[in-house]
Amino acid sequence: MFAVLGNAMLAMSLLFGVFGIIIVSLSMVGANDYRFLKSGRMAFLSSSALVVFSTIILVYELMISNFSIIYVAKYTSIETPLLYKFTGLWAGMEGSLLFWLAIQSFFFILVILQNRKKHPRLMPWVMITMAVIQMFFLILINFFENPFDPVQKGMVVNGQGLNPLLQHWAMVLHPPALYLGFIGFSVPFAFAMAAIITKNLDAVWIQTTRRWTLITWVLLTIAIIMGGKWAYVELGWGGYWAWDPVENASLLPWLTATAYLHSVLIQEKKNMLRLWNMILIMLTFTLTIFGTYLTRSGIVSSVHAFAATDLGIWFFGFIILIIVVNAVLLIIRRKELESKNKLESFVSRESGFLFNNMLFISMMLAVIWGTMYPIFSEAVTGFKITVGSPYFNRIMIPLGLITLALTGIGPLLAWRKTSIRSLKRNFILPIVSALLLTAIIAVIMDLKMVYPLVSIGLMVFVSMTILSEFYRGMKARMRMTGEGMFKSLFTMIDKNRSRYGGYIVHVGIIMMFAGFTGKAFDKEADLSMMPGDIQTLSNYEITYVEQWFESPDSNPDTRSNHVAKIVKLDVKKNGKKFHIMEPEKRFYTDQNNQPHSEVAVKTTLNEDFYIVLGDVDLKTGLATMKVRINPMVTWVWLGTFVLLIGTMVSINIEEFFRRKTK
Amino acid sequence: MSFQKKFALVVVVFGVLVAAWISVEFKSEEVPFISVNDLLEKHDQFSQARFRLGGNVDDGSIFYSDDKLTVSFLLKQDESVLPVNFTSAEIPDLFKDGAEVIVEGAYDEGVFHADNLMTKCASRYDEEGEYQTPEMEG
Repeated sequence: MFAVLGNAMLAMSLLFGVFGIIIVSLSMVGANDYRFLKSGRMAFLSSSALVVFSTIILVYELMISNFSIIYVAKYTSIETPLLYKFTGLWAGMEGSLLFWLAIQSFFFILVILQNRKKHPRLMPWVMITMAVIQMFFLILINFFENPFDPVQKGMVVNGQGLNPLLQHWAMVLHPPALYLGFIGFSVPFAFAMAAIITKNLDAVWIQTTRRWTLITWVLLTIAIIMGGKWAYVELGWGGYWAWDPVENASLLPWLTATAYLHSVLIQEKKNMLRLWNMILIMLTFTLTIFGTYLTRSGIVSSVHAFAATDLGIWFFGFIILIIVVNAVLLIIRRKELESKNKLESFVSRESGFLFNNMLFISMMLAVIWGTMYPIFSEAVTGFKITVGSPYFNRIMIPLGLITLALTGIGPLLAWRKTSIRSLKRNFILPIVSALLLTAIIAVIMDLKMVYPLVSIGLMVFVSMTILSEFYRGMKARMRMTGEGMFKSLFTMIDKNRSRYGGYIVHVGIIMMFAGFTGKAFDKEADLSMMPGDIQTLSNYEITYVEQWFESPDSNPDTRSNHVAKIVKLDVKKNGKKFHIMEPEKRFYTDQNNQPHSEVAVKTTLNEDFYIVLGDVDLKTGLATMKVRINPMVTWVWLGTFVLLIGTMVSINIEEFFRRKTK
Repeated sequence: MSFQKKFALVVVVFGVLVAAWISVEFKSEEVPFISVNDLLEKHDQFSQARFRLGGNVDDGSIFYSDDKLTVSFLLKQDESVLPVNFTSAEIPDLFKDGAEVIVEGAYDEGVFHADNLMTKCASRYDEEGEYQTPEMEG
């Protein structure tokens, strides 16, 4: 009943959208009538609201387990916990497309309401751009992947349930964060399109969308890391990043967006790089669509390449359309996009940002090459060429380290030109302390690996430059105003939030690099043990205590939808009691007994002790397991948290709400 | 030469260097994804030492070593069959008779020594989809 309504709403939304595009276009040619624009706005609000309502209906159907809808039957079952019935919304192709569309529509409503009385020249084009994006997904959903399609024959008594791998908190949060982080870029993109079409090419469109861009960026960052966290605890291969095509798809727009965040600062300050910023936001948006496509098309990572979905060709067409329209606009407006201010020196803040951009673009190209080449190679050479982590690591580690170095150097460079004297004054202390500390660490730890040493040195160097920036700013303020230490520190940050917020983000990045560097010191062992056996890995001693079995009958509360084989391990570290660990092998009864390894992890600040149960013979007790020591992993998660704080300082969340309540 | 031109030159040189570097690293790390038949007949024509293969686990061919850390099986693709060894405590959950797998490793005297074994995963989106990778770092 409601499903029919949801379906009708999606169809109506399409009509409203088309009507809106026509009437807003008319408002700009000939007619130029404000009433046209006004009804266009209403049409877009309606089309977007309809999408949101139909999504709510799908959620409702998932919650009440209406198995007469194919989608509901496919991704949930009666036993699925309520929370995961809800997340079923993005577990499958149809639902995830609708969810994508719902977020985009929600943003569309926000943008329209936020700018009701602002930017009269930009807004018609902003709306048209966002409407075209919305239309594209509405067409896909209405004609190809309708989540409301009913079950054709017979009656479904119970659904298939949600893949157990997806039943995890990080998978509850990761997809929404990723979608928000992808789709949010459609807003700055729409403003960029409006700016280039209407020739309003100063920094207005950038400033207007600054907050959107930052929030979107931080959500994308968190989403990527959360995906890593999920892989780390659920997939059981002991890492959080494997350069898998789907991961790469989310990294690509992050790289260009990060470049964009930095280079727009130059346009705001010096009105330079107008063409380049335009290209970066267009690229970022295109890559979000490309990423959405890549994760759905099945063209990567499948042996039967080029899986036969109708969607692929549509996405491909849409991406080509975006690229062509963007390229034409850039060519037509190339004169207007020229900047009057010119670069003056290699050693300047401007050049620093440009080098930063070159690095991010290089990383993006390296990732896209490694991800896409396997697909093209088959057409060219007849067989498929693949590359794995080694390729990506060999390129990305050095590029990442150079970028880290720039994080320290850039902020200390002056605009236009930096004098030798200021270079000396700013860099001597950080460089000397970095060299000294690295040397000490190298000797103490007997460390000879190049990259980790470079990384440690750079982390110290960048931390010192950031510290000295805070210290010097605070001192200057204390002298000037006579305020106390903390007061001047906080007012200083408050007076220049984007700068100091940015530094805090950099601190988060340094912490994440500490985590990445820890990877170089990973240790692992494959163990085969009988109960009572003792084995060691590095300074850990593992005693296999016992093994047992649990099922829905024995533990109805905790094991309602699976049976589990469990082994108990008593772990000692440096001869002292450390932790009792119980990795499990589960079989999900509502999923054709699909097996799943539940890893056991004991986290400490400097390293994780990580055990995956390969298998255990309940009769003999013979158990195989993979044991890993993963140093510094926690710092990746902690760094993300600091990065989030830095972004919030930068955005000035407080002021945002103060203004809202006025 | 104006500073603008100098900077442009630096950008171009940087771009060329990075592109060259990427292609060199790519070349040195590439792993051909070939059919079992091609491996058996033409393995000496490839310059690479490592290969990636896809196929199904032949029914009844799975054997474990006594400590259960090494599994050997026959990889079947079309009519070609290849013995494969894989040593790890982490055999992917979906590894069983008939399962579709991808292996990566080196070929030596009629036996394929895999250091990476992936099984087709009950995918996130649809039947065709992703592979579950138990161990990417090899």
